Amino acid sequence: MGEWSSRVIPIVRGLCLLYVTHKYLGTTVVTYGPSMLPTLGITGNVLLMERISTRTGKLRPGDVVFFRSPENPRRVVCKRLVGMEGDQVTYVVDPKNSYKCNTIVVPKGHVWVEGDNIYNTKDSRNFGAVPYGLVEGKAFWTLLPRRDFGSLAPKPK
Amino acid sequence: MLPTLNITGDVVLVEHLSHRIGKLGSGDLVLVRSPLDPNRTLTKRIVAMEGDRVTFSLDPTRSFSSRSLVVPKGHVWIQGDNLYVSRDSRHFGPLPYGLIEGKVFMRVWPPNSFGLLG
Repeated sequence: MGEWSSRVIPIVRGLCLLYVTHKYLGTTVVTYGPSMLPTLGITGNVLLMERISTRTGKLRPGDVVFFRSPENPRRVVCKRLVGMEGDQVTYVVDPKNSYKCNTIVVPKGHVWVEGDNIYNTKDSRNFGAVPYGLVEGKAFWTLLPRRDFGSLAPKPK
Repeated sequence: MLPTLNITGDVVLVEHLSHRIGKLGSGDLVLVRSPLDPNRTLTKRIVAMEGDRVTFSLDPTRSFSSRSLVVPKGHVWIQGDNLYVSRDSRHFGPLPYGLIEGKVFMRVWPPNSFGLLG
């Protein structure tokens, strides 16, 4: 009995530590999809996400954030934060078809997110401002691909 | 949330399993993160799930007029039990399902109203 528990207890402790880290500190995330080109490739991206900035309210426009999709609560989506509450955001409504722009003020308690690849992305221009409570974390480091190792690129102008 | 919950001082038990496995339905009391202030949690009742049509009156003290809409995909419609003073989906719109934190299932304080809720 004693020998069995001396092997299991460190494993349980390790899993608890892993869970607490995943839930409160940060975790690794694998992303896919074309919506964040050229910053993130279509596949093969492994990023480090931290949850501390979201909890302490230290997110700023330009950060790459992960949030739970307002349309499908089981999906976590990765986009760039473009506007915080109260900011005025101007965006192109349908870049493939026209140059028409729209300007809105981000409502209280919400954030405005946009993919870097505006031609192929579903973001706040489709589902509106995202409530801040849905934001899970901020991506701060790229692990893979190797050539992008390091902090993430700022949004291309 | 009168008369279900008292104005202050109720201690309730919240479970975090139902919303993860998708077993929430209309009529459930839920704890949600407020879409207007991410640091506040609200306790409201789910009135309609995604795809349901909900009819509501914006201000029951002023008029009888009501509005009707279909709850969009990935959202729920929540209302407080005390419609006259509650700020809920009638004011801030349908709530994204991801903001639901848990389901209230039991009250433990005050002792004379100990028991299952909802």
